[in-house]
Amino acid sequence: MDEFQEILQDFLVESFELIEQLDQDLVELETRPDDLELLNRIFRVAHTVKGASSFLNFDVLTHLTHHMEDVLNRARHGELVILPDIMDVILESIDLMKALLHIIRDTSEDGGVDVSACVARLDKCVGGSGVVETPVAQAAPKVEVKEVVKKAADEDALDYESMGADELEAEIERLLKQRQADDKAKRESKKVDGGNDASSDSDNYFEEDDEFEPVIKVPMTVTPASKPASTGSNSDDSEDARAAAPAKKAQTVEQTIRVDVKRLDHLMNLIGELVLAKNRLIKINVDVEERYEGEGFLEELNQVVSIVSLVTTDLQIAVMKTRMLPIGKVFNKFPRMIRDLSRELNKKIELEIYGEDTELDKSIVEEIGDPLVHIIRNSCDHGIEIPKIRAEQGKSETGTIKLKAYNEGNQIVIQIDDDGKGLDVEMLKRKSLEKGLITQKEAENMSDKEAFTLIFKPGFSTAATVTNVSGRGVGMDVVKTNIEKVNGIIDIDSEVGVGTSMKLKIPLTLAIIQALLVGVQEEHYAIPLASVLETVRISKDEVYTVEGRSVMRLREDILPLVHIGDIFEVERILDSSEYAYVVVLGLGTSKLGLIVDTLVGQEEIVIKSLGEFLKGIEGIAGATIRGDGGVTLIVDVIAIMDMSKRVKATALKDTTSDAAMLTREKTKPSDYTVMIVDDSKTDRTIMRKALEPLGLTLVEAGDGQEALSILKQGDYNFDAMLVDIEMPRMDGYSLAIEIKKYNRYKNLPLIAVTSRTGKSDRMRGVESGMVEYITKPYSADYLASVVQRNINFKF
Amino acid sequence: MSDKLKQVISKQRKHEEDSSKHSEDIVQLVGFVIGDEEYAIPILAIQEIIKPFPWTRVPQVPKYVVGVFNMRGAVIPLIDLRLKFGLSPKKHNEETRFIVMRHGDDIAGFVIDRLTMAIRINKSKIGPAPETANGDDTAIDGVGKQEDRIITILKVNKLLERDF
Repeated sequence: MDEFQEILQDFLVESFELIEQLDQDLVELETRPDDLELLNRIFRVAHTVKGASSFLNFDVLTHLTHHMEDVLNRARHGELVILPDIMDVILESIDLMKALLHIIRDTSEDGGVDVSACVARLDKCVGGSGVVETPVAQAAPKVEVKEVVKKAADEDALDYESMGADELEAEIERLLKQRQADDKAKRESKKVDGGNDASSDSDNYFEEDDEFEPVIKVPMTVTPASKPASTGSNSDDSEDARAAAPAKKAQTVEQTIRVDVKRLDHLMNLIGELVLAKNRLIKINVDVEERYEGEGFLEELNQVVSIVSLVTTDLQIAVMKTRMLPIGKVFNKFPRMIRDLSRELNKKIELEIYGEDTELDKSIVEEIGDPLVHIIRNSCDHGIEIPKIRAEQGKSETGTIKLKAYNEGNQIVIQIDDDGKGLDVEMLKRKSLEKGLITQKEAENMSDKEAFTLIFKPGFSTAATVTNVSGRGVGMDVVKTNIEKVNGIIDIDSEVGVGTSMKLKIPLTLAIIQALLVGVQEEHYAIPLASVLETVRISKDEVYTVEGRSVMRLREDILPLVHIGDIFEVERILDSSEYAYVVVLGLGTSKLGLIVDTLVGQEEIVIKSLGEFLKGIEGIAGATIRGDGGVTLIVDVIAIMDMSKRVKATALKDTTSDAAMLTREKTKPSDYTVMIVDDSKTDRTIMRKALEPLGLTLVEAGDGQEALSILKQGDYNFDAMLVDIEMPRMDGYSLAIEIKKYNRYKNLPLIAVTSRTGKSDRMRGVESGMVEYITKPYSADYLASVVQRNINFKF
Repeated sequence: MSDKLKQVISKQRKHEEDSSKHSEDIVQLVGFVIGDEEYAIPILAIQEIIKPFPWTRVPQVPKYVVGVFNMRGAVIPLIDLRLKFGLSPKKHNEETRFIVMRHGDDIAGFVIDRLTMAIRINKSKIGPAPETANGDDTAIDGVGKQEDRIITILKVNKLLERDF
């Protein structure tokens, strides 16, 4: 039983792979009916599935594929021309085959699908009467072949050539009904005859076509490549020899192993951890370099770090590649779709596909199928005009839709171009106004590009009536949602009467991304680099306020601005400087300028979930662990775009007014606060004694670290600091440098009190931002006067 | 030699059986203090107890969710129980600890003022939650009575439940 299951699994995987290719091949076949190579390929699929399914006792499937194979074999031998109506039947049978395979996958049994009608039609294509018994237990299906095939095919060709598409359909409909009725009658009579002469029927069959039954009788030949070859050997027909040639070629396919996706996901997770560790190692290396400058072992460490980082990157790419699938997997279904749609809509549409070998992460490939379906349906329905109108406009009657995929930097671009009527900006605005999606004012201020994005609004539809194909106003909304889900961007370009071009820009992979790290106050955030268009530095005068919102000019565009601190409720303790950095975010077609305090840099980050407890926080897409072991939140650009509309104007606050707020009015001596930083208790007491008479508020700290944390806590508003230089943990110079990093304390007077009297020491003091340099020993009065001078003491 | 070994093993086994018999009635808890009150949670719900650690603030959440921190590669939310229980915030000091609790797949770190001790308490000594704090909503599982004190036993699943 287990063995059976194993074989069954292999069979299913193989079959699904085969039929995926099949759809495309068949549509291609319609345009190139004499392409023997193609025919052979299609034939082999039917044949392989038939062989394997008969071996596994899936009788219904065997029955169906057998008849498909029959039709295809005749076509392959040039005895049958594949006409559109025959193609319809073949396509239908492939749909049934897929349905059967799905049922087999779910229940391990075939059945539940009625194939008899389709089989009858298939049978008719090869000139059979269509009298076919639906199979029961036996693998060998019974076929009746009574008429000469070629004649029938020729007749068909003559008949249909003179008809229009509609008439053709009607005619087929009529013929089918008629024949089905006949079939039924015949079947009835045949049952009375007794179905026992099946063997003689198949003997008949052999005389015309002597290669199929033997194969079924040798069920051990399961592999696709060997089978056509073996069939070829049964016959001395030269065409069969040719058929065997491509089969031999297929034997040299790439060697592959099937791996469970879970294993790859696990591998990807492990690589993620490794990337984090690598980032950390790089950071440590930098720190070590600073601390032990010029030491011999540094070079060695450097080498190791760079090798590790190099290998990690390569490893990451290699693992990423294992998860990559060619986008052709998705593209394959479109030729068939276009074909069906063009028949349904009575339009002539041609699909051109480029770059189907472009590879994308499996999870993304799964995600983009739906959006592409919607976009292409949309192009067919709304974009491409009916042939008459096209001819009137001097275009070729056949509309073309081009589907391209290519790499562009770190992302994949999927481009869908049509040469239809294009998007009419005025019409889009009018429709949106009618449906109340935008206001009159918005419509007036809208640029063409913005107007194009209206088609993504839920509820928007330009179709006058809801058809089978489109008009419900949901499709394009799905496109936007799905593309944004994979951090993609949509770009639309259109010209009335010329066509529409839509570009989907999608990052290569989801788990590890390039991010821009930005700082706001003391916090860091990571913005997916795929959504970052550019960064600019602006001065405050460049920020304008329009209707209570901050905006700036970016070349020709007006860019709405929002401060990241307002979105993430960051308390702005520290002051922003005169300049601000603006990260221009682009998503889909909308843009937003995000003001940040600092740009930290670009880093490769691993996306981690915030877990069940914190999931769904607006504006946060996840978290990542940085080189220093800390957690950095990843910005959800989609949400930010949304939230920015709700955040009130946040022009950069005026520095001076902020500063005024901080330095509150001093009314008594104890309003002045001074911090004393010294590791020696005695020294601290000496300083305290010297300053106490003034009545100042004094705060003591035992070393630089402690002083810094007191500053950070913000419990006091310090007016000056007395800093010793020689201290454990963090010395006075480092402390001064750290303090100066805070805008708020930029102007805080730092007074060095030290026994170091060397000139170079004094220089270092000045460099690190000390304003005064008092050498020990000093008189109490001197210290007091220096402090008084520096804090503008007025009492 | 081997006999001796067997003896030892059988003795140990016996001991284990004994203790397992006992453990049916005994609940093992870890006690900690928040504000003036002592609380406890089942020891098995605790993944680890760590000293305070740098964390990252998370926006758009209630005040008591102080942020997230990195525990060996996993991003874990940090909840201040003082704030959650409506007490005023307090600076972390030497005794402050993060207790990382797990219930099923849910995991979070909780800031507590101070650890007390591991408590073995007989089930019979655990009373129901007080009337006022009854119902499905309460995070109180029961009240444990020791010689000289009362310990509030908390429901870990309730603590780990997102209520915003």
